[in-house]
Amino acid sequence: MPFVVRRLLAVAPTILVVATVTFIALQIIPGDIAQIMLGTDARPEDVTRLRRELGLNRPLAVRYVEWLGNLLRGDLGTSITYREPVGRLIVARLPVTYSVAFAAMLVAIGIALPLGIAAARRAWSPLDLTALVGSQLGLAVPTFWMGILLLLGFAAALPIFPLQGYVGFTRDPVQWLRHLALPAIALGVERAAALTRMVRASVLEELTRDYVRTARSKGLREPSVLRRHVLRNALIPVLTVMGLQLGFLLGGTIVVEQVFGLPGLGRLLLQGIYSRDLVVVQGAVITIAVTFALLNLLVDLLYAAVDPRITYD
Amino acid sequence: MSRQERQNLNTRWPRSVTLLLVAALLVVGAPAGAQSPRDRLVFALSGGPDTLDPHGTAATLAFMVMKSLYDTLVEPDDEGKMLPGLAESWTVSPDGITWTFKLRAGVRFHHGKTLDATDVKATLERILDPATRSPRRLQIGPIRSVEVMDPLAVRIVLTERFAPLLAALAEGWGAILPADLIARKHEFGTRPVGTGPFTLAEWQRDSFIRLQRFDGYWIKGQPRLREVFIRFVPERAVKVAGLLSGEFDAIDGIDPDDLPRVRANPDIKVITQVTSLVNVVAVNNSRGPLRDVRVRRALWHAIDRKQVLKTAYGTESIPSAVFMDVTSPFWVDVGDPYPFDPERARRLLSEAGHSGGLTLDLALPQPFQVHIEAGQLVQAMLAKVGITARPRVVEFGFWLSRVFGGGEYDLTVIGHTGKLDPEGRLTGWGDPARNYIRYENQKAADLIHAGRITANPEHRRRIYAEALKLMTEDAMFVILGTPVRYVGTNRNVKDFRQLYAVDTYDFRKTSK
Repeated sequence: MPFVVRRLLAVAPTILVVATVTFIALQIIPGDIAQIMLGTDARPEDVTRLRRELGLNRPLAVRYVEWLGNLLRGDLGTSITYREPVGRLIVARLPVTYSVAFAAMLVAIGIALPLGIAAARRAWSPLDLTALVGSQLGLAVPTFWMGILLLLGFAAALPIFPLQGYVGFTRDPVQWLRHLALPAIALGVERAAALTRMVRASVLEELTRDYVRTARSKGLREPSVLRRHVLRNALIPVLTVMGLQLGFLLGGTIVVEQVFGLPGLGRLLLQGIYSRDLVVVQGAVITIAVTFALLNLLVDLLYAAVDPRITYD
Repeated sequence: MSRQERQNLNTRWPRSVTLLLVAALLVVGAPAGAQSPRDRLVFALSGGPDTLDPHGTAATLAFMVMKSLYDTLVEPDDEGKMLPGLAESWTVSPDGITWTFKLRAGVRFHHGKTLDATDVKATLERILDPATRSPRRLQIGPIRSVEVMDPLAVRIVLTERFAPLLAALAEGWGAILPADLIARKHEFGTRPVGTGPFTLAEWQRDSFIRLQRFDGYWIKGQPRLREVFIRFVPERAVKVAGLLSGEFDAIDGIDPDDLPRVRANPDIKVITQVTSLVNVVAVNNSRGPLRDVRVRRALWHAIDRKQVLKTAYGTESIPSAVFMDVTSPFWVDVGDPYPFDPERARRLLSEAGHSGGLTLDLALPQPFQVHIEAGQLVQAMLAKVGITARPRVVEFGFWLSRVFGGGEYDLTVIGHTGKLDPEGRLTGWGDPARNYIRYENQKAADLIHAGRITANPEHRRRIYAEALKLMTEDAMFVILGTPVRYVGTNRNVKDFRQLYAVDTYDFRKTSK
């Protein structure tokens, strides 16, 4: 069986486990959707009636099997609070979250690659030390705080970027970019910090290898040594980390979407958890899990592109 | 400069130019002025609606938007008196069972249909239908049947007398929908159709909603605005920054901490609105020492209620010692029955056999920072009389289920939202199985029931006054009072109005 097909098949059980864990987790955390919908006006009789009408008094196992059956048919269910099919809610939000995560990744790579390589080439120089200290700082600053600072600085005090919201790419590419800029920076900088250290360490290690000495003694110029020999080898571990980072970024969008008022998957997930809307939470979690699995597959395929010694059959 | 470096520079140059171009594009794409046009209001609200189906939610944030899309048969004025809405007039039979509403002629729905009695009948039946799963089904009243008398007259027959019927019909969930679309199972949740002053132009969930003037609105000359753009901004710092920078014309719910900064700006006007809330330190009457009225009274004496109220909820907040908002016509003045007096609190505690001190659990709901702050003040005050309050901050969903629903707490701090009619606030009190503090007093419960079925307003007022006094006598929980809400608008915004007790915004007369 081809590698890609095998990997795709392996995703299915992962999703089942994720779905089941989410289902159980939401049963364990206290809070009941009927009680939350009715708020502080709720009388016990209202809660009982609404629970019955929402079908929440049926046994847990029945509801789980029913939901799973629907999932297999590709139906994620209908949200109780939103009164809309969850599939529709998610499809509307995916472009937002993917755009933010992707843009943040670009910011992270854009900072980390040149900085990491430069730092490794001049290890322990003032530039390297600055990069090290900077990345430590970048890791320490919470995305949330960074986001608020960026907003107050570049959207409120200096109204260069929009304060809140999102505009789709197809609607207006310039506005799309403007709305993404600050969230991508807020989210990307933290990842860049982690990635810079990784790139630096990886490049530094490769630079001491024998083949580098051989390449240099052949008379190859330094940029060529770097590009054709060092980076190819150094990028393998970096790629792995980048794949994982994208997972982090998908999680990180929850915070950024809240701060920048972006109507993405993260905000939907958060609202779903607050209101204990099980189908919304499951739909969002499964979407994130599938995305993550596919990204990892993509990273595996990229290995082969970077390193011709790696092949999949 | 070596050849290599020059080459590098050459290859890098176009890249920096590209970057510059992108940056320029981003800046150029910014709107010319932060101010929006005169007939467009940009309003920042802390959250958005879950659905735009008025019968599918109980969320205040949803009704804040829906007020502009739908109308109700009757509407409250600023004092809570009922005014004609879609109903021009109404009569009630002497036994209080049959209500007849005469509808306004010539009212049009957004899709063109003219309002008639069948719409009212279909709407009320939709709310009562269990398949609609309306969270507010029981609040609409004990309706037996709805009959169409003629195209503009409709009769509602009750199973028992129900004085708060008008108030129930005036709440957001009493919104009238068109019968033809109800029959076709139209999805009102995402494509609302009502008779309201605005129509839905665009809704990006959790981001913004754009409302457009409905030119066929039944009040001539209203609404004055062409467009209302409501942006949902969860972060309070961002909301305030947007108001100050002019990006938002109005924002709701300014935190007392942010007030000095907002007030310092001459372009901003801060409107102080007395809410219909009653904020309390709730006491679980079924828990150990708290069953003893002396202990509950000791809590009142131990807590400087005025200070907690003004520090945590804003200096203009109004103290009260009864479980009714101070703006309600049903509010009664009982003075300060248990004044702040730690010495007396200690004495009462020792009389009740707790001279050695007392340890109580104090549940505080997240994300309500004001309640958490109030709780911290309460904790410090209780410590001075020998009561150790152990605060625990809990997520609101958890709070609703375990604290409010499950009664797993000793003390908690919360605000009770008001209703147009005292029934909405008081039903269930006195019956320990039907209120979250497990307060038991049969006489209070009987009085509240009597209020529900008494039509004469003067009699009702007396009945409720007696019930409220009884509840305070029992010191069922520590009542702080009614907090204010700070709304900020640009100085040029006029008639920014919020409906009494319903807490929704009415943009019909708003202009800027």
